[in-house]
Amino acid sequence: MTKRFLGVTAVDGVDLHVEAGELVSLIGPNGSGKTTLFNCVTGYLAPDEGRVALRGREVTGVAAHRIARLGVGRTFQLVSVFPRLSALENLLTFLQEHQEESVLARLVRAPRVRRYEAVAVERARRLLDSVGLAARADTPAGRLSYGQRKLLAFAAALMPDPELLLLDEPAAAVSPTMINQMKEQIRALHRQGKTVLLVEHNMDVVMDISQRVIVLDHGQKIAEGPPEAIRRDPKVIEAYFGR
Amino acid sequence: MMRAARGAVAAMVLIAAPWIVAAIAPGQQRYILHVLIFTALYGALALSYDLVVGHVGSLSLAHPAFFGIGAYTAALLATEARWTLAFALLAGMAAAGLAALALGVPMFRLTEHSFAMGTLGFALVVQIVATNWVEFTRGPLCVTGIPKPQLGSFRIATLPAFYWMALAAVALVGLLYHGLTTFRLGRAFHAVRDNEVLAAAAAVSSLKYRMLAFVIGAAVAGGVGTLYVSYVGVLCPGELTVSLSVNLLVMIFLGGVGSLRGVLVGAAAFTALPEILRMAPTWRMVIYGLLLLVIVIRFPDGLEALFRRRAATGA
Repeated sequence: MTKRFLGVTAVDGVDLHVEAGELVSLIGPNGSGKTTLFNCVTGYLAPDEGRVALRGREVTGVAAHRIARLGVGRTFQLVSVFPRLSALENLLTFLQEHQEESVLARLVRAPRVRRYEAVAVERARRLLDSVGLAARADTPAGRLSYGQRKLLAFAAALMPDPELLLLDEPAAAVSPTMINQMKEQIRALHRQGKTVLLVEHNMDVVMDISQRVIVLDHGQKIAEGPPEAIRRDPKVIEAYFGR
Repeated sequence: MMRAARGAVAAMVLIAAPWIVAAIAPGQQRYILHVLIFTALYGALALSYDLVVGHVGSLSLAHPAFFGIGAYTAALLATEARWTLAFALLAGMAAAGLAALALGVPMFRLTEHSFAMGTLGFALVVQIVATNWVEFTRGPLCVTGIPKPQLGSFRIATLPAFYWMALAAVALVGLLYHGLTTFRLGRAFHAVRDNEVLAAAAAVSSLKYRMLAFVIGAAVAGGVGTLYVSYVGVLCPGELTVSLSVNLLVMIFLGGVGSLRGVLVGAAAFTALPEILRMAPTWRMVIYGLLLLVIVIRFPDGLEALFRRRAATGA
């Protein structure tokens, strides 16, 4: 199985290709087009030119909720939760559409739907436990602290067990202990064979866990390669620190 | 256990209301039952409206139009084509639901305020059509002589019978409302309401759930419209005024947006309060307005928030 992304985006002709099971980081100064690229891949924006393919299947211009159904999970740069749903319900929301969709079966709470729900609740409790939020399961997500909401959003993205996970700055505005925890979680996903594409400003995290790093600047790809090479690349140093 | 017992008592009181009223206020029975029927019908209508406003967060002002489309469909079928109420009811609900389906496709492309304006425009157009298409709707001459509901040989003609019909209607709508707004459907509705962008990442389609709430809300409004005209016996274009939206908004915000009990309490307060205040006829509407104002200022989240606080403190 190969996983291919040819995102020639509104950004500026970026050719991005991620293999299945790879852990790739996307870095670059602010405004270099990282999040826009994410939004094109996940269906939030339609690219003006070029195409997006997932496992060889073209998904250009497909709606975001459909792309999510294809096994693509993502988190947002600005922490995003359903504030009036409890932490547990936040996670359940992320799995239910993958399990079944029938409106009537849901309305009458068919036995099948109840079984799916029980499976989802069990999985949600395990995930809440793994990010240390088990005690807050019934708290409305809007009342959690910033860091807790960030962990909740991360756990939510894992709920449907996505094949490809796009994480937008998971380590931003997070305490050092939580950064380490986040790193371990991402490594664990990688070990499970998941494909991870990471946007991150924290260079320690990027250099520490990525197999490959792609550098964007002004919407163009200026470098690509293993972390050690990127660290020494003069073009990258210039983009970050100026000449 | 306590809750179930209290619920059973409340249900029995509601079912026995015609006899209770007859025993307590024999002279006033007709009038009180009339108010109760209106309260129940308004309660059902407010619940259908809250599905859209409270649960998917779309401020629709087209609800009077759906109420009217259902009412006109049923009234014309019952008078011109001699349909019985059961079929006219189904036709009225279907007509209102289909109108919502057709209206929702373009409207849900609009953002919040434009959606409100667009649906307001639709409500105005429907009222203008009802007033001016005289050959079809009889315009200001009104549709008259709408027959009483009939199920087989059983005819709903007396006030208590109408009361039980309205009570059954609000109970059914309440059950539907509860089923839709809890568990998985409720979660999907609330996800769309709270954060549309994140909902898409959770594979929840905003359009699908908005449409679902909009179409079901409209079909129920059409059904309530049918019951309303079969009770009143006359249907005039004035019933479709935009101010009905304002009344419904007051009911749901007064009681508590998104809450079954809150919306029903809001509808009851809104319908019954002006009647109770008839004891002071001159100052009636002034007192009523002041009361609404006090409630909105003191309890911005509606009466439901007050009940919850009471329950939490154990008082």
